[in-house]
Amino acid sequence: PQNLKCVTHNLRKMVCTWEISSKRRHGQTEFCYNTNDLPPLCFKTKEKRVEIPVPESFTTVKITTYSISGAALATRHFEIHKKDISFVPLAPHILSLTPDLSTSTLTLKWSDNGSTFPYGLDASWEIEILRKEPMENVTHESYNSKLTHEDIVHSWNWKSDMPLECTSHYVRIRQYVNVTQFDGHKVWSDWSPLEVVPGKDTEPHGSGLFPQDTVVAVGSNVTFCCVHEEGRQVQRMSYGAKDYPLIRLSSRSSAIRVLNASASDASGTNIVCRMSENGMDGTVLFVGYGPDIPQDLSCETSNFVIIKCTWKPGRASGLYGVRGTKYSLFESVSGKNVSCEVNEMKKERVCGFPVLADQKTYNFVLGVSNPIGQTKALLLVDLNQRVNPETPEKLTVYGNSSTSVHLRWFINGSFAEIRLLCQIEISSGHSEQKLHNVSMPGGKFSTYTAQLNTLHPYTKYQFRVRCSAADHFWRWSDWSGTEKHTTLEA
Amino acid sequence: MAAADTPSASLRHHDLCSRGIRLARKMRSDVTDLLDIYVEQQGLDASISVAAVEGVPAAAAERWAEQTGTQRLLDNLAAYRAFRVLLAQMLEEQREQLGDANGELGPALAAVLLQVSAFAYHLEELLELESRRTPAEEGSEPPAPPRLSLFEQKLRGLGVLRELAQWAVRSVRDLRQLAKHGPGSSAALGLADSQ
Repeated sequence: PQNLKCVTHNLRKMVCTWEISSKRRHGQTEFCYNTNDLPPLCFKTKEKRVEIPVPESFTTVKITTYSISGAALATRHFEIHKKDISFVPLAPHILSLTPDLSTSTLTLKWSDNGSTFPYGLDASWEIEILRKEPMENVTHESYNSKLTHEDIVHSWNWKSDMPLECTSHYVRIRQYVNVTQFDGHKVWSDWSPLEVVPGKDTEPHGSGLFPQDTVVAVGSNVTFCCVHEEGRQVQRMSYGAKDYPLIRLSSRSSAIRVLNASASDASGTNIVCRMSENGMDGTVLFVGYGPDIPQDLSCETSNFVIIKCTWKPGRASGLYGVRGTKYSLFESVSGKNVSCEVNEMKKERVCGFPVLADQKTYNFVLGVSNPIGQTKALLLVDLNQRVNPETPEKLTVYGNSSTSVHLRWFINGSFAEIRLLCQIEISSGHSEQKLHNVSMPGGKFSTYTAQLNTLHPYTKYQFRVRCSAADHFWRWSDWSGTEKHTTLEA
Repeated sequence: MAAADTPSASLRHHDLCSRGIRLARKMRSDVTDLLDIYVEQQGLDASISVAAVEGVPAAAAERWAEQTGTQRLLDNLAAYRAFRVLLAQMLEEQREQLGDANGELGPALAAVLLQVSAFAYHLEELLELESRRTPAEEGSEPPAPPRLSLFEQKLRGLGVLRELAQWAVRSVRDLRQLAKHGPGSSAALGLADSQ
């Protein structure tokens, strides 16, 4: 017997193997060992391997080989020290490999068999991903964890640089356990068996151009693949108007790689795959920007019925229609949420939110999202400080006096909770334009009146009026229409 | 049953035919412009070949010369009713995909859709003049468009517009044939015409 080697997988038991140099046929082998000064233990075996406990420090071994007839042939003594033992963790076992086609992400789950080892060991994992025919390594990824004497299921995600439909993706994993208190030789486990997520190019009639109708950010690198039926060939693949070099993935799948994609037109950029026998397939890529943080968000009410919020959208996303940027207005005090109808082509954005009974302060979150990203802007509003009344209407001027007149007007809105400040502009041919301010309690969709005195007799005047909130000025309304009136003769 | 061939019916028939020819010519020119806008806005290669689009009646008719006048009108009517549905689907798809950014395409598509509807109505008038009952339209709800990828949708639209352009040319020829003969002579038209 020679070349005795011992390997442990769990630091408790070790498997010892040996070789027998003589060519003669032999029967059984007797294996005796003793550890820590205990009496030797012996047993017979036909194998050239035995499993015995890992010693605290060392073990002495005696191996005797016998002939078929039972006569002793040869005996050999060995001393196995801890440092002579190799520690090789068992190959990990993959529990599941799950594809998410929409994000081209693989999710790998495996158990770390922590219960095999004593507490608190650092474990390193190497995960290898392979692809193509013939299989090529795509990436080698590392992952670290702590073994805690329990079997923990680990989950690890990997986003592929190409759609998972393009070709089969293979994954395997191996483990290294850093047992600092183990003097022996420590090595990586074997690789786990390969787990595979089959590509469309393995399905009997699988075909198509991938990714299908997807949206990416400007500057992205995108891989497109053309999967076709057996026997066909891809002749060329174009992105927009330009042909790209083909990358062979398998006999039924070819790809192109577009780097640093620039913004696409509204209808997207076409990717066309032309195949033998007039075969053609295509897809569309939309390249745009995530939404910009809304700028100059401002909210006001003109009638205490609707709060009108406006903002500037910032950089255009370049995405339209169903992929366009969506806006929603969420008010956290009431918990109410409103989605906003927006015209992409208009510079200013507007959204209406109902004035709520008995609520003066509004804590707005303007949420903005499109397929590439999302952002938001916040605004806290005291509504009484953001009143920009509707334009006064139906202004009438009356009076049968030579020095005074009455004015009456209507404002569409419910201002009962505030005082209004209205400004009357008085113009007449031969004197300077005057402004007369008057404040009054606000009303509910009501008419307002004011009287002007100290006018000149028999004079042609023009009046118009505008209003604002009296206590917290925010903005004047627009001017009403102009009304003419001539005072009576003195 | 043939229509009475009174002078006023002939006059009206001739007027409808010539107005139909003008409408078809206008449609032809507008569809050609629309095709250019469509190819450009959809980023397509103008020379791209498109398979026959399902639901689009082919303009190329076998034994075109032997067709009766009524058959011509019925074929035309079936075609333009189909185009009316297809163009409406395209318009909806453009609104969904491009939203407010459909530029010239949306209005141009809507304009051609109007013309197709008008032409279909015009064909119904001609058929009535032939004392033929206009075939009822199949069901009130048009068939839902097939679920296509965006690229297939683009190609399908191209196929529809190309076929519509062909039909506009054919309609001019069909109506010229009809104009040569008064109303009610359509039964014999094909044979007399083809000797």
